[in-house]
Amino acid sequence: MKTFFSNLLAIYRRELQSYFISPFAYVIAVVFWLIGGLFLVTILLSPQGLIAQVGAADQLGASPQAIDVPYEFLKIYLNLLGSLSMFILPMLSMGLYAEERKRGTLELLATSPLANWVVALGKLLGVVTFYSAMLLPLLIIQLVAFWSSEPTFPAAILLLGHFGLLLLAASVLALGMFISSLSDSTVLAAVMTFGVVLVLWVVDAIATALPDPIGPALRHLSLLAHYTDFTLGVFDSSGLILFLSYIVLGLFLTAQSVDTLRFQRS
Amino acid sequence: MIEVDQLSKSYGSTVAIEDVTFTVEPGEILGFLGPNGAGKTTTMRILTGYLPATQGTARVAGKDVHAESMAVRQNIGYLPETPPLYPEMTVEGFLRFVARIKGVSAGDLADRVSSAINRCNLNQKRTTIIRKLSKGFRQRVGIAQAIVHNPPVIVLDEPTVGLDPRQIIEVRNLIKSLAGEHTIILSTHILPEVSATCDRITIIKQGKIVATDSPEHLVGRLTGKDGYRLELRGEIDRCLSVLRTLPGVTAAEVLAADGLAEGRSRFQVTTGVEDLGSAIAARVVGQGLELFELSRNRASLEDVFIDLTMEDSASDTTLAADPETSNPEISNPEVLNPNTSDPDTSDLEASTEATADREEAQEENA
Repeated sequence: MKTFFSNLLAIYRRELQSYFISPFAYVIAVVFWLIGGLFLVTILLSPQGLIAQVGAADQLGASPQAIDVPYEFLKIYLNLLGSLSMFILPMLSMGLYAEERKRGTLELLATSPLANWVVALGKLLGVVTFYSAMLLPLLIIQLVAFWSSEPTFPAAILLLGHFGLLLLAASVLALGMFISSLSDSTVLAAVMTFGVVLVLWVVDAIATALPDPIGPALRHLSLLAHYTDFTLGVFDSSGLILFLSYIVLGLFLTAQSVDTLRFQRS
Repeated sequence: MIEVDQLSKSYGSTVAIEDVTFTVEPGEILGFLGPNGAGKTTTMRILTGYLPATQGTARVAGKDVHAESMAVRQNIGYLPETPPLYPEMTVEGFLRFVARIKGVSAGDLADRVSSAINRCNLNQKRTTIIRKLSKGFRQRVGIAQAIVHNPPVIVLDEPTVGLDPRQIIEVRNLIKSLAGEHTIILSTHILPEVSATCDRITIIKQGKIVATDSPEHLVGRLTGKDGYRLELRGEIDRCLSVLRTLPGVTAAEVLAADGLAEGRSRFQVTTGVEDLGSAIAARVVGQGLELFELSRNRASLEDVFIDLTMEDSASDTTLAADPETSNPEISNPEVLNPNTSDPDTSDLEASTEATADREEAQEENA
């Protein structure tokens, strides 16, 4: 047990370190922050933004029902962040194994006294931590915005929404990690991950077009549908289970795929 | 320390190694010699637990490499052909990482890393990022990662490939200094390497072991190949007849005479008895021929290697059909051994004579 944790920690630290000293990771983070910040400003403060709309409705005196601005904002903003992440995450996961294969360091990992799934778990934890670090500044500016809301906005909804986003990201990264283990080309891994994620993202749109037993079953797999629950402040255990299943599936497939590598013609 | 018994590995229908059997005693350096594609890397990968064998068993420190893989991995240090390095890490950071995943306890970590760094002479580069290191230093970091957890067995796959001559000598000395407390297997296709570093040599050809012996014994098998080279001035036919009529000379022939001064030619003399040099010189001079050079060529390890790895490639149609295992370059000694400046050390004509010796060698191995 002790060696298990020390191995996991070693892999995790190396993975995390590789992001924090890679210019590539910083470029991705900066793009994420720029676009994320731009969304925030546009949704709140632009002439067509939420605050302006509510203000206009108030002036006309035609406000049939009260609008919960922070709640509306959080819903829209988290959806945008989710969509943005769909583009960013494949780029974070693409190198997880493809890079190791290209450099030959996978041979080092495979000949060390380590189980494959420990390596996979350590790597996944590393990349999820980096994504969390990318999310943190955006969470802080949201907190600043919510600070001024009157009455106070419950922090639990905000945190639940971000927890959902983190689960979504971990699922996508786990699948991306598996795809990354399939080849030694990072570009190929990114493109394939993007394709798979896109299909899972819109699978409920496909599901509506399909007949009864297949359609509803497919809808349960939709990332978007379950993520939307979280952004609305609804905690649904089926969403949690779905995301955890994707993560476990990704880890399992990665471990299997790395094991299979040894049986291939080198 | 290492026992390999009838190990076979095939990739689909291609046989990579077949019935490979050898043992390595504790503290010994075994050289694994063979042309490219002979199955050296495959054997090493099976030993390190990276590849599963199709048949046969391999045991490292008494443990089966497949059934007790984790225990074996802890006891083995492995340097693959391309050193597995993370270019963005510092030398020290990388070695600490490797020590951790190899199961070195936190208390010993700093000591182990320092001793690996000292061993491999990496002290000045301790905090340098690996990306900025030269090829020679990277190779040393590769060796350092193989020894950082102080494994009883070290497996090195072509440790000197791509290094300059000075770096090659440094790496060889490093390897030699590791022998004794560690058991080492190293693979190479460079011949001086094995004669310089190894206690024993296993020659592998097209997936099969053709000989295992000490370098001296291997060379000793080809004693029939002793001969002399002469540079003479005189009429070629006369020179030949003088040489051929000398008692003890079994054959004499003209060698290519490029670059020689007008009227001079080079001859190769094959002798049946030992130490004929003085007799040849006396005879040649006595007959009024002018002698410019007389040198003895002994069988070298290279001759043994070429002899063992080159023969019957024409008759062996199944192997010749496989482009990866048959190696046409082997007939060119220059390719085999880029470090030898003398292009004539290997004498291809003589290899047929040694067929008998070779067959004996194979029987011994079987």
